[in-house]
Amino acid sequence: MTKKEKKSFNQSLAEWKRFIYNPTSGEFLGRTAKSWGLILLFYLVFYGFLAALFTFTMWVMLQTLNDEVPKYRDQIPSPGLMVFPKPLSALEYTFSASDPSSYRGYIEDLRKFLKPYTLEEQKNLTVCPDGILSEQKGPVYVACQFPIFLLQACSGMSDPDFGYSQGSPCVLVKMNRIIGLKPEGTPRIECIPKDENVASISTYPNNGIIDLKYFPYYGKKLHVGYLQPLVAAQVIFSANSTKKEVTVECKIDGSPNLKNQDDRDKFLGRVAFKIIARA
Amino acid sequence: MVGGFSILLWVGAVLCWIAFGIQYVSNPSASLDSVYLGTVLAVVVILTGIFAYYQEAKSTNIMASFCKMIPQQAVVIRDSEKKVIPAEQLVVGDIVEIKGGDQIPADIRLLSAQGCKVDNSSLTGESEPQSRSSEFTHENPLETKNITFYSTTCLEGTATGMVINTGDRTIIGRIASLASGVGNEKTPIAIEIEHFVHIVAGVAVSVGILFFIIAVCMKYHVLDAIIFLIAIIVANVPEGLLATVTVALSLTAKRMAKKNCLVKNLEAVETLGSTSIICSDKTGTLTQNRMTVAHLWFDNQIFVADTSEDNLNQGFDQSSGTWTSLSKIIALCNRAEFKPGQESVPIMKRVVVGDASETALLKFSEVILGDVMEIRKRNHKVVEIPFNSTNKFQLSIHQTEDPNDKRFLLVMKGAPERILEKCSTIMINGKEQPLDKSMAQAFHTAYMELGGLGERVLGFCHFYLPADEFPETYSFDSESMNFPTSNLCFVGLLSMIDPPRSTVPDAVTKCRSAGIKVIMVTGDHPITAKAIAKSVGIISANSETVEDIAKRCNIAVEQVNKRDAKAAVVTGMELKDMSPEQLDELLANYPEIVFARTSPQQKLIIVEGCQRQDAVVAVTGDGVNDSPALKKADIGVAMGITGSDAAKNAADMILLDDNFSSIVTGVEEGRLIFDNLKKTIAYTLTKNIAELCPFLIYIILGLPLPIGTITLLFIDLGTDIIPSIALAYEKAESDIMNRKPRHKKKDRLVNQQLAVYSYLHIGLMQALGAFLVYFTVYAQQGFRPTSLFHLRIAWDSDHLNDLEDNYGQEWTSYQRQYLEWTGYTAFFVGIMVQQIADLIIRKTRKNSIFKQGLFRNKVIWVGIASQIIVALLLSYGLGSITALNFTMLKAQYWFVAVPHAILIWVYDEMRKLFIRLYPGSWWDKNMYY
Repeated sequence: MTKKEKKSFNQSLAEWKRFIYNPTSGEFLGRTAKSWGLILLFYLVFYGFLAALFTFTMWVMLQTLNDEVPKYRDQIPSPGLMVFPKPLSALEYTFSASDPSSYRGYIEDLRKFLKPYTLEEQKNLTVCPDGILSEQKGPVYVACQFPIFLLQACSGMSDPDFGYSQGSPCVLVKMNRIIGLKPEGTPRIECIPKDENVASISTYPNNGIIDLKYFPYYGKKLHVGYLQPLVAAQVIFSANSTKKEVTVECKIDGSPNLKNQDDRDKFLGRVAFKIIARA
Repeated sequence: MVGGFSILLWVGAVLCWIAFGIQYVSNPSASLDSVYLGTVLAVVVILTGIFAYYQEAKSTNIMASFCKMIPQQAVVIRDSEKKVIPAEQLVVGDIVEIKGGDQIPADIRLLSAQGCKVDNSSLTGESEPQSRSSEFTHENPLETKNITFYSTTCLEGTATGMVINTGDRTIIGRIASLASGVGNEKTPIAIEIEHFVHIVAGVAVSVGILFFIIAVCMKYHVLDAIIFLIAIIVANVPEGLLATVTVALSLTAKRMAKKNCLVKNLEAVETLGSTSIICSDKTGTLTQNRMTVAHLWFDNQIFVADTSEDNLNQGFDQSSGTWTSLSKIIALCNRAEFKPGQESVPIMKRVVVGDASETALLKFSEVILGDVMEIRKRNHKVVEIPFNSTNKFQLSIHQTEDPNDKRFLLVMKGAPERILEKCSTIMINGKEQPLDKSMAQAFHTAYMELGGLGERVLGFCHFYLPADEFPETYSFDSESMNFPTSNLCFVGLLSMIDPPRSTVPDAVTKCRSAGIKVIMVTGDHPITAKAIAKSVGIISANSETVEDIAKRCNIAVEQVNKRDAKAAVVTGMELKDMSPEQLDELLANYPEIVFARTSPQQKLIIVEGCQRQDAVVAVTGDGVNDSPALKKADIGVAMGITGSDAAKNAADMILLDDNFSSIVTGVEEGRLIFDNLKKTIAYTLTKNIAELCPFLIYIILGLPLPIGTITLLFIDLGTDIIPSIALAYEKAESDIMNRKPRHKKKDRLVNQQLAVYSYLHIGLMQALGAFLVYFTVYAQQGFRPTSLFHLRIAWDSDHLNDLEDNYGQEWTSYQRQYLEWTGYTAFFVGIMVQQIADLIIRKTRKNSIFKQGLFRNKVIWVGIASQIIVALLLSYGLGSITALNFTMLKAQYWFVAVPHAILIWVYDEMRKLFIRLYPGSWWDKNMYY
């Protein structure tokens, strides 16, 4: 039986050296320069061809797309709800009414977000009749005005601090835009605190109504200047409650085709956020 | 369950659980995905482990079969008293008695013997009974006449002897310990698979660690980096492959079992295919292990008898009157008889009471003359002298069947020279002629010629006793021999041999053309061995040994140029004096070698010598003496019918029909499975790139993850399993029996070309195709390809529930997740569709698919159907199960990758075309795997 002797370190080092560069055959990493040249050339051509082919097929695929409307919208049949301002991590708003720096970020976010909603910005938009869908045939699609004063106390017009300095912060709730979505019934956002003893919620516009005139949405390209309807929720802590911490749950109500009860999607037609007001 | 891929997967599983643990501590609502994945990985490892164990759980129980051979009782003389004691209580120095039919209880030196004959065939391979006496005749214990061996059988006679060795110290016990002492070496295929595992694991680990480092450098969370590492490992490890290989091997094993090759050790299936030297035992393997009449000499002419297994057509000229007389002697001067009640059994298969040569003669005359017993009845035997070693003849006197002929007929057979001495006349063409010098010369020439063929020659003579001297009432006496035993009439010679099996010469030729060297290793005499070797083609017709050349040129053996001789006959005695270097030289220089008179140890030395030449050695044999060599060989092949239990236990493969030519079938199947495993592995490796790229791109370019780790497992263990097994059913591309056996160290199962072509050519094309499907799905849902780059952080954020797409729509986290799963499904389907093309191109490595036939291997289509069905099931049937990450995919997405699949096919056809057009070219060297 021939037993394999362990190669000594020097031997294997020499073998490696010979593999990296073999002076007798001029082989570098097991191939001669010519062989390397050929193989590199081959891969250059081959991969060039593959890249061209992939680019071409991608181009063909992109030709099937429509610039205005995505080909399929089946994966987003029903809109999600989202709040504004967006806290840094989870949906938790921590602030202290007495410390303006603790909520400055929220206020700036809100101002920025509400900029398109200012009256000057939307003076070119149409005033649409309330309560009916504003279906349009194009080719020019008009956007409906969303007068910011509908948000009342949370509009930022009367209170530039959006209630944060009073300890009654405003949070905007918005419904995700989905092209072609036509809500049925009278959709409204209903927000309720988890613990009613701690806080109460005021929603603006009144009852958290979302007017049908803002639907359907025709897409970023066609529907220039579109403003999505907003609902503001103002959390008012009870004066007698010592605890200044509340979880608020908002959901879409009053529209049979807007779902708000999905086991897996916690944001489909609903949103929950937490307000922590420190002293 | 440990080693190779399993270790990698275990590491992956444990990392999964650790990752989940850390996630859980920081966030108790963490997703259970990594727990699922870890569990799935562990289950995969355990299941493949159990599967492999189940396949391999076959113990070779050599010692057990030796136990079975232990004789139960022995008659021993102790304290001047005969006692029957269990054989294991014998001690050295005991005096034991043996009689016919006994198994020898220990190694015994005979003190006295009366007509003792032993059957040593299981020990030495000699098929003839060996007579034993108290004389010391040879220094080699195996050769000397005064030693009988433990576990052999005493056939006839009685003997008394002294015990010289017991138990494990007996010759056979030493062989047994030799056999069990020989380690189980790794089979070539096991080495190949290990090599392949090393390559793949090396790629997996290095790519994994490389990207772990890249991920950490790119400021990914370490936990995320670990998850990437796991994904990269999972993507790289072909989880289903080892099970597939086992199944493919067992399918071949089944196919071989149908052709009478029973494979005990699955991996041995392939070993036969890479065999480059077959060391074959003679008796029972190459030969039929029964004496058969091979030649006749009468009328001064040699006739050839049919020695094939059924030998029904004895076509020699039977018209001569001499033959009539000779046949009569053969039929009458014979004490062997058929056991009754075998009329329906073919003559050659009937059981006979009598020794080997008498049996051969009985069967021979039964075939030619018809009912021999009836002939003997008609020619009533009046007296007989049985054969014994002093007389060296056998004689009987019969009344003739002709009622008018009142003469007695004396018939005699025996050692030719003794018979000739007793004759004064010889029968030529039915007429008696005086036996002159020229006739005697002719006799000697014939005798030498037949003896030179390694055959046992018997002479036959007869004599009609004159009716006047020996009237009907004459009382013959065998003791006083009151009848003439000289001046008889010589009738003819007849020679017998244990003939080669009729299929062997063809099989040897086939082995030759397949580049396999066939070496005969036997315990039998060199002359017989050489004769058989010549008749089966182990020594081909035109090649000569050194001795032959010396004889032809009439010079001394030493003067012959050794290079002129192609063949060599080496005896055990010569072998004993050889150094390993000399043996190596012998094995390397002579293409045709016969080893005769070898001991079990020497068989082992020969096998080792062959293995030193980097050859894969197959050993065939049936006796106990073969078992160490069988065990030592890369593949041991035992005979199923004649083989001893020890041989069968030591072997990896058993030829159920004892037919050497089944080995050729085995070689063919072994080579085929090697080729097909190559195809299977190439097929399986290809998609690794398509599985790996998503993670690399995810890490570097931040696309939403194209395919999930669990989804990968559904490819590896779902859609790809049956197709990769189906490749095992692929027919050979060309005549695989006309090429040389693969070189153990050079022709690897997974070579560089295979890996490069699978990974960097087809694999990359596949990845592109799958990405096309992925991009299509996202684009048509609103996320154009350009917007996907570096979207990862936003995309994966659970808190971002209004991510805007290119059309101004906003997506919640779960909606994105669902889209991501649709992307997984799309990518999965993309790979699956292209794996169909991959499967089809892997049917051949060189020939066009159209030459091989698209539909010849039906199982491939079963495989393709299974791929599609599994994919459909996963997408439409189980699409609602969250943990599986599948969604219902729109029908048209199933076809997006089809052009890529067709491209793969066209590209591979081109590759094969150039390989065929320019053999040996740069293309051939780099692209043929």
